Amino acid sequence: MDTAMLYALRDPLGIPAHPLIFLILGVATWALHIAAVHVLLGSSALAIRGAFSGNDHWRRLADAMVNTAKVAVSVAIVIGVAPLLFVQVIYDPFWYTSNVLSAWWVIGFIFILIVATLTLFIFYALNHGLRTNKTRCPGSMIVAVLLFLVVGFIMHALSVQMLEPDQWQEWYAPNGVIDASGRSIHAFNLWRFGFFIALSIPVIGIWLFGYRRYLQGRNEEDSGYLEFLKRTGTRLGAIGTLIALVLLVGWMRGLPEDIAGFATGIWPIAAAAALIVAAAFPLLLGRRLDQGLWGYAPILVATVAMIVVATMREAVRWVTLFGVHGYNPLDYKIAMDWYSTGLFFLTFGVLGGAVVTYLLTVAWQAGQTEGTYTPSRAVNRIGTAGIVLLLLWIAQYFGFGLWTAYA
Amino acid sequence: MDLIGLFPTWYEPAIGSGWVIGLIATIHVLFSHTAVGAAILFAVLAYIGMRDDRPELIDFIKKYGLFLLVFSYILGSITGPGIWYSTTVGSPRGISALIHNFVWKWATEWVFFVIEVIGVYMLVYLAGKLERRTYMKVAVIFGLTSYTTMLAIVGILSFMMMPGRPEQWFAEGGYLYGFYGPNTFAQLMIRTAFMFTMTAVVGGIVAAGLKDEVFKRWLLRRLAIVGGLSAIVGISLYPWYLGTLPSIAHLVMENRLPDYFTPSILIVLGAMLAYFAMTFFRPKLVTATVAGFATLAILVLGLWPGETVRESVRKPYIAGQYLYSNQVIGHDVPGMGVKSEIPTLEKVGFTHAHVFWPESQKEITRENTMDVGRNLAITACSNCHSLSATGIRPLKNYFPQQADVEGIKKYLLGALATGNTMYMPQIPLKDDEAEALAVYIASLNDPEAAAAHLDGDTTALLDNPSREEDQ
Repeated sequence: MDTAMLYALRDPLGIPAHPLIFLILGVATWALHIAAVHVLLGSSALAIRGAFSGNDHWRRLADAMVNTAKVAVSVAIVIGVAPLLFVQVIYDPFWYTSNVLSAWWVIGFIFILIVATLTLFIFYALNHGLRTNKTRCPGSMIVAVLLFLVVGFIMHALSVQMLEPDQWQEWYAPNGVIDASGRSIHAFNLWRFGFFIALSIPVIGIWLFGYRRYLQGRNEEDSGYLEFLKRTGTRLGAIGTLIALVLLVGWMRGLPEDIAGFATGIWPIAAAAALIVAAAFPLLLGRRLDQGLWGYAPILVATVAMIVVATMREAVRWVTLFGVHGYNPLDYKIAMDWYSTGLFFLTFGVLGGAVVTYLLTVAWQAGQTEGTYTPSRAVNRIGTAGIVLLLLWIAQYFGFGLWTAYA
Repeated sequence: MDLIGLFPTWYEPAIGSGWVIGLIATIHVLFSHTAVGAAILFAVLAYIGMRDDRPELIDFIKKYGLFLLVFSYILGSITGPGIWYSTTVGSPRGISALIHNFVWKWATEWVFFVIEVIGVYMLVYLAGKLERRTYMKVAVIFGLTSYTTMLAIVGILSFMMMPGRPEQWFAEGGYLYGFYGPNTFAQLMIRTAFMFTMTAVVGGIVAAGLKDEVFKRWLLRRLAIVGGLSAIVGISLYPWYLGTLPSIAHLVMENRLPDYFTPSILIVLGAMLAYFAMTFFRPKLVTATVAGFATLAILVLGLWPGETVRESVRKPYIAGQYLYSNQVIGHDVPGMGVKSEIPTLEKVGFTHAHVFWPESQKEITRENTMDVGRNLAITACSNCHSLSATGIRPLKNYFPQQADVEGIKKYLLGALATGNTMYMPQIPLKDDEAEALAVYIASLNDPEAAAAHLDGDTTALLDNPSREEDQ
């Protein structure tokens, strides 16, 4: 598959803004998505660990982690929509080909994810009050995690297949005979897959520091439990980072010859450094971990680390597709559309900013409040502003729409 | 190089990729429309609950919200991208056309989607925790946001039929002319009406489980009114919707829809109204099972035929009246700088224009004729026609049992390649491609006759792969 063929596969419509915008949005939203996936996998694993334990702290943690996993799966799915959208905008030749060549797995992804999520919810429904009640049907959570790993593997394979356009023709028409069944997974890299999955361990470890700070905000009295969280979080952060780094080295050492130089370049080193800093950050904070809002800082640092990791992943794609195959996503034809571009950024930055700030503030403060929660006047104003912005959005929709449709 | 950007084709012989897409899309419509209607219902109930100090309404929102959390916000939010996934493998250039026209609209919808998911969790898990005015405010945000997701998607669905303002979009391009048109608003109003119908039916599953009989009767009766009225409004809007469709869609409907379609839709409507009448007058008869069956009936008898029709009447196009269902761009779109690919196919054929065409089959010989014919059928036909006896519109059923290769080839070159078959895309074929495809089609009904043709003298053309005289 030569460069001209790859360019021929691009959509002739072009894209409505500069490709760099889609590239950045793709990386940023993928980082958030994979972080949510890590929290999902990590919290599910801790829930299983705690569900089989007789230790009070572990059972209490399992109880909390089931709730975390339940929300994390929703967050992972909803955030995951964005990178799925943006990859199709500038990498459409690669994404569509890779998907079609493994079509059954792509369809399977949907149904397996549904079963996995429902299985997780079954465990949640059966295990209210896990701290004091006996664990019921722990197998359901184990099955859920295994199925989540399967869907993760499918996504991994599709991403790897994207990077091997010189193999596509052979995959589609082995020995010249077209195989349109889409039943095969054609390429995967267990080091790479293992690396991204292993990151669940340090991520959930750091997440525990945030959970610990949340409990402190609610005047948690069980200092033993807080200490347990700190100890467990530190251990998971350290061990998990070590495992992830070993897998990262394995991935980098196995890179194809034509991009082997990438392994010793800036990005893998930056990613490794970011992960080490994120894992060590709670220790670096020392006593400040228990002061003010510092307790949440590890999550912020871990988020930055995930963005660095996501950028490294994008860099691998860049050096492969541009460096080896000559495909430059940044020279995509632009059919600039100011209205829809502007509307998105206003919706995202202004409307979304106001409404999400309001909702999360209310949810957060309500969680920290005993009894009924009443927001402050300032918080109320943000909520009212959010409603006004939503009404304005609807008004402009009909305004521009009716004018365009009937004028 | 005369290349056109055709992707590999996924061909699923048992049911066909079209039905896979249709199945996932239909289920998603049920989940998503119910969620939007319910979100608006929640806002109204939260307001009444606050105004009249009725905690049982908040309790119902919590129960229905918890049900929706799984029903719509888990299953719905998986089947939503699931439509992307299934269309990606079933019609990659179709979904690409929508993505590249409307990426920002989808990104905007995603912002609303994030708000929606946060909102539903808050309504479920903070019921009773938030003071009522704040709870109502969250419910209003949730309701408005939910409706904006429908506003954001409906123009994209409409574009699948045709651009909002076709003439302007073809000439000038741009998001607004693609998204907004009379069909957009007609479709929006119909979907708005039916989403309340679905909300009322699905809400019955939750309401049936309420312990307080007085409240249960009060609620079911109101759900019956909402559901019944919205069903009547939805149906009465149908003529408006039909009036916004392009003439070719009317032709398809007159000629291709099965005779049972209209009666079956009327029967479903009648059954729905009877169900709502029963809910109103005899709410005690509504159990979770009964409401569950009513939901299933909407899915199978209402949504599936509706979505099938929507898919059928836009043929031969898959998007924007410029992209054929077989993934070939059939018309210029000067406003977007898009060129028809028909001239390229007329010049060099699929075998030389298709990016993924096997090298060994670029020249057609007696030996590879059948394989080339099969590949042409997979590429140019299988999106709409199953190549086996089962699945969507089996290709073999469209040719007489005794049709010979010459007859089929004559049809392919005379009517299909020139674009003179109604509902069918123009499929330009070089002479040798037409012969190869004809051999393959003939083999579907009579493999021996097709093989005999290949052995006979009439295939002289196939022994000479040179196309220079054609070009």
